[in-house]
Amino acid sequence: MKKQLFFQSAVVSTILSYLLIFVGGLVRVSGSGMGCPDWPRCFGRWIPPTNIDQIPSYIDATSFNIVLAWIEYGNRFLGVLVGFSIIILNIIAIYYFRKELKLLISAILSLILVAANGGLGAIVVSSILNPFLVSLHMILALMLVSVLSYACIESYKLIHIEKFKDLDINRSLSNSLIVFWILVVVEILLGTGIRTNLELVSIENPLLSKGELLNALDSYKYFHSFLGFTLLFLSIYIHSQLRDNKLYIAKFLGIFILGMIIVQIFLGEMMIFFELPQLTRLFHTWGSSWLVGVIIILYNCISNEYVK
Amino acid sequence: MNTLNKKLIIAFFSVFILGVIGLFTIDQATQSRINNLSIITEIPSFQLEHFDGTLFTEKNLNNKITVASFMFTQCEGACPIMSTNMGLLQKRFSDSDKLQFISITTDPDYDSANILKDFSNKYSSKNNWFFLRGDIDDVVKLSEDGFFLSASLLPIGHSTRLILIDKDRNIRKYYEGTVDANIVELQNDIVTLIKRG
Repeated sequence: MKKQLFFQSAVVSTILSYLLIFVGGLVRVSGSGMGCPDWPRCFGRWIPPTNIDQIPSYIDATSFNIVLAWIEYGNRFLGVLVGFSIIILNIIAIYYFRKELKLLISAILSLILVAANGGLGAIVVSSILNPFLVSLHMILALMLVSVLSYACIESYKLIHIEKFKDLDINRSLSNSLIVFWILVVVEILLGTGIRTNLELVSIENPLLSKGELLNALDSYKYFHSFLGFTLLFLSIYIHSQLRDNKLYIAKFLGIFILGMIIVQIFLGEMMIFFELPQLTRLFHTWGSSWLVGVIIILYNCISNEYVK
Repeated sequence: MNTLNKKLIIAFFSVFILGVIGLFTIDQATQSRINNLSIITEIPSFQLEHFDGTLFTEKNLNNKITVASFMFTQCEGACPIMSTNMGLLQKRFSDSDKLQFISITTDPDYDSANILKDFSNKYSSKNNWFFLRGDIDDVVKLSEDGFFLSASLLPIGHSTRLILIDKDRNIRKYYEGTVDANIVELQNDIVTLIKRG
C-alpha cells in the first residue's frame, strides 16, 4: 500500500517532468524564452499580464508579447507543479522509506535537481538566453527524468517482487544496455552541441538560411548522424535479446527503444531535408529524453538483486 | 493484452494531441511576432544633412528598413552604448542591403560634419549608417511630432530609444537602446521585417 503510494507518486512526477521537457522544448523552438523579462514573476505579476496596461511602470513594456509571455509562463508553472509533486514524493519517502535507500536517495536527488534547474531557469532568463545555459537547463532536466525513472522502476520492483524472481540472467545484455545508455547521452550531448552552435552562429549572422547554418557547423554534426546509426544497430541487438524475455515489460521496452531510435533518425533527417523544422526539433529532443529514462527502467528490470 | 492495447492507443493519442498543441503554439508565437510589429505612425517629411553634404529626407527611408536614434557626439552616458549596439546590428546584418541606420544629432552647433564623420569612423563599419544634422528646431520637431519622443533640455535630454521604421516609412516599434534584451528583440524584429515585410 505504502509502496503503491510511492510508486504512483513517482509515476506522476515522471510524467509531469516529461511534459515539462516538452513544454520547455516548446519555449525554445518558439523563441519564447524572453517572454517574461523578469523571474520568477512575469512583468512583475504572478499571473502574466493580458493587457499592456497591466505592466508596471518600472518594467519596460517594449518586449511585451502576450503569446510569448504565456508560453514562457506555462513552462514555469509546470515547473512549479513538478516541484510540488516531487515534494510529495519526498514526504512519502521520508515518512515510510527511510530504510529503503534506493527510494529515499532517488527522491531526495530529484528534489535537488528540480530546485537547481528552477534556479538555473532564472539565470537563463537573466543571461538573455545564453545558448550554453539553455542547453545545460535541458541536460539537468534529463538527469531529473533519469532519477525519477529509477525511482519508478525500483518501487515497482518492490511491489511486484514475484515477477522479477526467476528471470534468466544475461550479463552481456545488461552490459550492452549500460554502453547503450552512455552512447545515447553522448549522442544527446552532440545534439545539444549542434543546437548550441547553430544558435550562436545565428545570433551573429541572423539572416543565414538553414542550409548555410548547417554548413557553418563543425564536423561533429557528422558524428551525430554516425552515432545515430550505431545506436540503431545496438538497439536491434538489444531488441533481439529481449524478444523472448519472460518479463513482458522488458520485451515491450525493447520494441519501444528500437522504434524510438528509428523515429529519431527519421526526425533528424527530416530536419535537414524538409520544412516544419520547429515541430520536428521539438519531438526530436523530446524523444531523446524518453530514451534516457526508458533505458534506465529496462536495465533495472533485467539486472537486479532478485535475479538468480 | 487488451488493457495494454488501450494504453498504447491512449499514449499515441496523447502524443498526437501534444503535436497539435505544439504546432498551434509555434504558429501563434510566429503570428504574435508579426502582430507585435503593428504600424504606429508614418514619418512626416523632414530634411537633414549627412556629414558628406548630401541631403537626407523622408524619401531616403523608402524601400529600406531603418533603425533610427538621436544622439550627440559629446554625450557620455547612453549614446556610446546605443551607438555600439547599432554598430553591432550593422555588423550582424552587413550582408543585407535592405537595412540602413540613421543617427540624428541633437547638438548641431557642436557636431559639425567633420566631428560626425570622426564619430562615424569609431562606430560604423559600412556606408549604410547616416549621421544627420540639421536646424535644431527641425530636429526637435521631428523628434516630438514625427517620432513622438520627448526632446527637452537638449542636447542631453534626447530620447535613448531606438526606432524601427519599415520600408514604407512607418514606425513599427521602439526599443530602449541601452538594454541588451531590447537589442536582441530588435534584432529578431528586423529579421521578421526582412523575411515577412
